[in-house]
Amino acid sequence: MQLTAEQTALLETVRSFAQREIKPIVHTYEAEDRYPSEIVEKMQELGLFGLNIAPEYGGAGVDTVTYALVFEELSAVWMSLAGILGTHGIMAYVLQRFGTEEQKRRLLPRMASGELRGGLGLTEPDAGSDVQNLKTTAVRQGDRYVLNGQKMFITNSRYGSGLLVLARTNPLADKPSHGMSAFIVEHDEQTPGYIVRRPIHKLGYKGVETCELSFEDLQVPQENLVGGEEGHGFAQVMSGLEVGRINVAARAVGVARAAFEEAVRYAQQRQTFGQPIAQHQAIQLLLADMYTQLSAARHLYIDAAEKKDRGQRADLEAGMAKLFASEMCGKVTLDAMRIHGGYGYTTDFNVERYYRDAPLMIIGEGTNEIQRTVIARQLLQRYRV
Amino acid sequence: MRIVVCIKQVIDPEVPPSEFRIDPQKKEAVQGRANLVISTFDECALEVALQVKDKVPETTVTALTFGPKSAEEALRKALAMRADEAVRVDTDRTGRMDPAGVAQVLASTIQKIGGADVVLFGREGADFDSAQVGQMTAEALEMPLITLATEMEAVDKGIRARRHGDDGWSVVEAPTPVALTITNAPVNVPRIPKVKDVMQAHRKPITTMTLDELGIDPAILSEAAPVEMEELFIPEVNNQVTIIEGETPEEKAEKLAQAILALKVL
Repeated sequence: MQLTAEQTALLETVRSFAQREIKPIVHTYEAEDRYPSEIVEKMQELGLFGLNIAPEYGGAGVDTVTYALVFEELSAVWMSLAGILGTHGIMAYVLQRFGTEEQKRRLLPRMASGELRGGLGLTEPDAGSDVQNLKTTAVRQGDRYVLNGQKMFITNSRYGSGLLVLARTNPLADKPSHGMSAFIVEHDEQTPGYIVRRPIHKLGYKGVETCELSFEDLQVPQENLVGGEEGHGFAQVMSGLEVGRINVAARAVGVARAAFEEAVRYAQQRQTFGQPIAQHQAIQLLLADMYTQLSAARHLYIDAAEKKDRGQRADLEAGMAKLFASEMCGKVTLDAMRIHGGYGYTTDFNVERYYRDAPLMIIGEGTNEIQRTVIARQLLQRYRV
Repeated sequence: MRIVVCIKQVIDPEVPPSEFRIDPQKKEAVQGRANLVISTFDECALEVALQVKDKVPETTVTALTFGPKSAEEALRKALAMRADEAVRVDTDRTGRMDPAGVAQVLASTIQKIGGADVVLFGREGADFDSAQVGQMTAEALEMPLITLATEMEAVDKGIRARRHGDDGWSVVEAPTPVALTITNAPVNVPRIPKVKDVMQAHRKPITTMTLDELGIDPAILSEAAPVEMEELFIPEVNNQVTIIEGETPEEKAEKLAQAILALKVL
């Protein structure tokens, strides 16, 4: 893909930022599993939270392809930061696409500046892949909705200030998905009924808070019902997840790229049997496969993003990109560790972090098993006999 | 205050040495996979100008370059950093151009766009490191010159600059118009542009001029230049390591001294 001058300049900006501001501190934050408030503030100043928000609402208005390329770039240095940006971007996308004009004017400029940093309140203890089974309810009472329920694995739920929450508004709807609505929940530490139960400790994806939440009679103003009409939340959030999956694929490519680049460098420096290990065919075969697969994954996510930008349905392509890129990332990061040998297993080298981060992309944003069923369903429709 | 910052687009000086190539016939570096960037010290000069604008918003900053079409990307970066205007004098030449000729082009352009209160340059180009263009342009514009400055502020009827000297630093003041060459320092690390500004920079106009319009004969840049480059090559460096053996530190030191004396480098 030939990048435009704008894309090149934007990626160069993100690369400079990542090298100057993130790279020197990533090891410390990762080791301490500390939320990178200072970096998030700098991301705010740089305007990264407004990347996919239209200029009339104060953002940069980049297309899906460019947005995904930025995710790759950030993830090549520290994937966790792309996570902080990721669900915020989904919330902004859904609001921009489905929100009322009043909602857009009221909320998007604050999201673009990063003052309102959002996330996605979708998964529940008993409803992850099976979203239609979600239990959180929203009951209309006068000019507000009252939310009750539990959410699980929610990024940006403690240090952010907004969530796009999917809740059931009509338990008697003809189909479960028709009885769901999406809400913008603004919150801070004092918000009654918004309870952060606990931060969840994870294998990788450190620094970013992933929490378990409870809503106990949480009151949300009626004007925060996305689109102003009940019953559309499921479709709205699913559309947002398409963008999310493209970005997860881009994150996987970023992590894999970083792992490959460190491995290919190390292979030319590390000597065994009197020569650099890069001269051994066993290592060359690994390097060739790693690069081929990560290049293929990049093509897949760009293809999905281009389709989305053309306004076409892209769930098949987004699913394939997410599936292939995340599995590739798991393999490439393990191969990078093999090339590094024992050193790769230590925290002295970055590859162990890449290896720990990779499974998030396999499981998150819809497990790869779900991706396969989504892809298969599409294929069976497309090739119906 | 109107500040003109003269910038040059160069092959990224951070390119790994293993990838750096030159074309001996053309006598210029080969870009290869390297990016084209604003010359290091020129970018610091831009930062110095923008810091003045941060404090005195009515300041205008114009980025000026003399280069081929590709050099517009350097100007776009300057616009993304929040320079107000960008001007390019067109040439299809790449590689080394005679500093005296370049100075004449820059001085003529600055006069043609209405002059400047302050003209800033990087202390030297990050490619040939001639360190002459700033001085020669100041001479052509008949402006006083402050060299090796790291920061600058606007004061009554002029500017105050802090400059590096051999024995420390000094603070100098000068009335405008004045020219400065800028060297790098922690205080002028170039800012990273905001993403919105990067996008908008690609929609802003760039004023383009030709040597014809400036009434300049292109021959002064090479054929008729007072200095000709005869040869361009990458020096070969032979690294040899000799381990000095010895039982005691004294013995090793003695052998090391003998080895240095034998090399006749002292």
